[in-house]
Amino acid sequence: MSKTNLVVVGAGPGGYVAAFLAADLGMDVTLVGKDENPGGVCLYRGCIPSKALLHVAKLINESRESAEWGVEFSEPTIDLDKLRSWKNSVVEKLTGGLGQLAKARNVRYIRGTATFLSSTTLKVAKHEGGEEELSFDKAILATGSVIAKIPSLDIASDRLLDSTTALDLPAIPKRLLVIGGGYIGLELGSAYRALGAKVSVVEMTSGLLPGADRDLVTHLAKRIKASFEEVMLETKVVALEEKKNALAVTIEDKKGEKTTKEYDNVLMSIGRKPTTEGLGLEKTDVETDERGWVKVDAQRRTTDANIYAIGDVAGEPMLAHKASHEGKVAVEAIAGEKAVYEPRAIPAVVFTDPELAWAGLSETEAKKRGVKVEVAKFPWAASGRATTLGRSDGVTKLVIDPETERVLGVGVCGPGAGELIAEGALAIEMAATVEDLKMTIHPHPTLSETVMEAADAFFGQSAHYFRPKRK
Amino acid sequence: MKSVTLPEVGENIEKAEVVSVLVSEGDQIEEDQPILEIETDKATLEVPSSASGTVVKLYVKQGDEVEVGQTVADVEESGNAASDKGEEKSEKDDDEKSEKKSDEKSEKKSDEKSEKKSDEKSEKKSDEKKSKPQYGDVFHYELPELGENIEEAEVVGVLVEVGDRVEKEQPLLEIETDKATIEAPSTVAGVVKEILVKKGEKAKVGQLVMKIETSEAPEEEASEEATAEKKSEPTASGTEKKSEPTASGKEEKKSEPTASGKEEKKSEPTAKGFEDGQPPIQEKPAPAAPSVRRLAREIGVDINRVEGSGPGGRISMDDVKAHSKRMNEGRVESGGGGGLAYGIEPVELPDFSKFGEIERTKMPTIRKRTAERLSYAWATIPHVTQHDKADTTELERARKQFGDAVKERGGKLTLTALLVKILGAALKEFPQFNASVDMAERAIIYKKYYNVGVAADTPKGLLVPVLKNVHRKSVVEIAVELTELSKKARDGKLGLDEMQGSCMSISNLGGLGGTYFTPVVNPPEVAILGVSRGAYEPVFIDGEFEARLMTPLSLSYDHRVIDGADAVRFLRWIVEAMENPFKLALEA
Repeated sequence: MSKTNLVVVGAGPGGYVAAFLAADLGMDVTLVGKDENPGGVCLYRGCIPSKALLHVAKLINESRESAEWGVEFSEPTIDLDKLRSWKNSVVEKLTGGLGQLAKARNVRYIRGTATFLSSTTLKVAKHEGGEEELSFDKAILATGSVIAKIPSLDIASDRLLDSTTALDLPAIPKRLLVIGGGYIGLELGSAYRALGAKVSVVEMTSGLLPGADRDLVTHLAKRIKASFEEVMLETKVVALEEKKNALAVTIEDKKGEKTTKEYDNVLMSIGRKPTTEGLGLEKTDVETDERGWVKVDAQRRTTDANIYAIGDVAGEPMLAHKASHEGKVAVEAIAGEKAVYEPRAIPAVVFTDPELAWAGLSETEAKKRGVKVEVAKFPWAASGRATTLGRSDGVTKLVIDPETERVLGVGVCGPGAGELIAEGALAIEMAATVEDLKMTIHPHPTLSETVMEAADAFFGQSAHYFRPKRK
Repeated sequence: MKSVTLPEVGENIEKAEVVSVLVSEGDQIEEDQPILEIETDKATLEVPSSASGTVVKLYVKQGDEVEVGQTVADVEESGNAASDKGEEKSEKDDDEKSEKKSDEKSEKKSDEKSEKKSDEKSEKKSDEKKSKPQYGDVFHYELPELGENIEEAEVVGVLVEVGDRVEKEQPLLEIETDKATIEAPSTVAGVVKEILVKKGEKAKVGQLVMKIETSEAPEEEASEEATAEKKSEPTASGTEKKSEPTASGKEEKKSEPTASGKEEKKSEPTAKGFEDGQPPIQEKPAPAAPSVRRLAREIGVDINRVEGSGPGGRISMDDVKAHSKRMNEGRVESGGGGGLAYGIEPVELPDFSKFGEIERTKMPTIRKRTAERLSYAWATIPHVTQHDKADTTELERARKQFGDAVKERGGKLTLTALLVKILGAALKEFPQFNASVDMAERAIIYKKYYNVGVAADTPKGLLVPVLKNVHRKSVVEIAVELTELSKKARDGKLGLDEMQGSCMSISNLGGLGGTYFTPVVNPPEVAILGVSRGAYEPVFIDGEFEARLMTPLSLSYDHRVIDGADAVRFLRWIVEAMENPFKLALEA
């Protein structure tokens, strides 16, 4: 049996970041992952490939929009094989790089599936064949999540896609139905729309992106409504049936009326659930809650003193950057430091067009909790930079504690929102006041000015947005 | 030229005594080479150099007291001057890490726990109360969220009746989904006015199932708008439930064996659940940058108690340090003569030299610490000691029989090693002994890990190395580990982590003699097992007196959490396990 200080099970953005930091701190580290290189769902089947496709989508959309500015391109021809191999090359480049980084740090990477045998040993069924038993001082569980499915709709059909198969770009369907109006469905739906598919979306609740502030979603919803075939809210899919050349989808609206429509492909994107099964956790003292998440403390230690858990498997939000951060906390805790997971803000980004991003306390949440806040907004119609982009469909808002004038939350909708939100996250973590944002010089002409102007607007002093402070 | 400073040597330790200086001026030294031996409250440690080169000047000598961060030597660096800072020190092996942190943290002043927090706390609490809705509101209890994709569920049991008083978190309904049977807890305290579902009925998530007249506001609603917004409440509480392991402090308490756990638990006051993937919303999140929060954590300051001097009440590094300093002074003033006698003024000592020759020495650090801890234990724990006697004739025979086999593996099979194993099993059987008391919070913390401390008599004084997770270790493994730890203890080489996290301790004085004694509980533990020397005694068995090896046991326990009857049961269990090791094999 081989020995290691630390074994990290799962090589996604939580696992590999943890493994790398542990190696940097001098531990002897083994990293177990399912793919050829570290990367996990994020790099192989999630964030990265989808962003590659969304970049192409953006290019296509802008080439069309530019007609209005006097620059006309002919309709793009899409070489799907070439596009796919470019996307794959992006993935290979990044994951290959991680493989090299692992080597450079002397992190031992084993491709295979790990099963715990006890609180100090595990077994890896190697991808290349054979098994290896490994004893460890500490383990980090970073097994991530799997795609959630509605069992009654999970029929065996090539036409039924999930986020993984959709990223493989099997073909561009004429008509695509997306089940689930969350971020995965909208991102992939938008990409397929730009590539030429007629896309419809079905969402059970009363709006797209449930949970996000409505004033952010509204710009996106407008654009989606215009470009998508159909947006069906408060509606659910009750049956799927394979037909000769299509999938017949039975849809039930809020009144209970059922209709059946046909689509070439259906993308099921209703969410993800933590991967805790088949890991041998029953041989350890690790406990999960009733929803399947591994119970962890503030240091991400599970109920088994030797085992830590990070990322999707340790609870929501299931986001790569949250996993990485937890990975660092867990490793520091293992190294004996008093690290604690206590973020004030975890930026969430939806990479649609326009993008949506928020961090910290949202207005919706504040209302729900009865937290008194003031909201300051700056509409992008008043932003010079947004206008030069031909994109005034955006807004930047600040959620503020009226008593201390501290920034509790930031929300942005508009192209590039994902990049802008980082400033918001920093402001919240640093306990910045609105005045701090107001008095920080932001470069002109950029979209980042909208953050400063939203702060100006709080004092009724935005130069480009005349709205004197009431009261 | 580089200054070598005294690195962080452990939790709450701000200074240490130099026991010996291991290098001289002019010496050529390597990075990580020990240059000083220091003695802290808890252990003797070697201080490694953070630079390679020639020792130009030494600032300390044997017997000096040095503070964390104080410069102890100047080193003229040799060779690659490029590597100037302590960052690269990261490649130290693991167990050293907790003891030697890099210089950049040296500015820290370590500190004791915030012991006097009750005043501030009660203030805070009354503040919160004010904003809550009045007594007597009728709360509409709706079926909370039960899990992903579950919209309705069958009520398999109604656990309360109209007129019942219910507490918050008290289960109201038993609900069966296709995944599991769940108890739906109340989100308020009050009296059940109406129950709108029956056993066997199906209920939808969000459906009104019960009306409760509240005697206290639901936790989520801390503002005036609360009453108006009541409808959204149950969903919110459902969410809170979901994210409980991350959001609430409860989990932390459970699996945080180190002393720091206490602080951390408190630094998450009213943590609320996730919604839209954002972190739990706190009632009043401490307005401090991540680096400031980290500093506070490391020096044992609860960031939530620090007053911020910046705009919007922002807490700076200096605020944290000032708070820590105040805490320090506060403790000194409130006295107890450095903890030697809590709350009791030290009496004036007579001039002993009048009666004969005397010699006055300074208390060594470990002695000081022991005196403080034991005074504290004696003053705060209502001790009771239960005695019993175990017939260890067979156990002793087996111990001798297997002793050689264990010796081959590098350990010594002692009665203590056997007792460690037995105690581990007993703790599992009697959870109230595997507990700690949190009087500030009026809470009992039960531990789900089984670590046993063993008091060791060392040349430097009393040390208690800890064997971790003994329930998972064989007696042989325990014997080997105990042998190693005892040696380390005698050599003064025990690491801090090897002396932390004990659940209950054993003090075996049998090697020296004596019959019974009354050991003092080692807080935050709640019991200690004392063992005295076994002796052959005539025991009346089957109509005859037989010579049996009888070992006296003394169990001291904290009467606040352990009742006398339980103590007798616990000690009997141990006696039976000693008399019949097969019981251990069966039950442990």
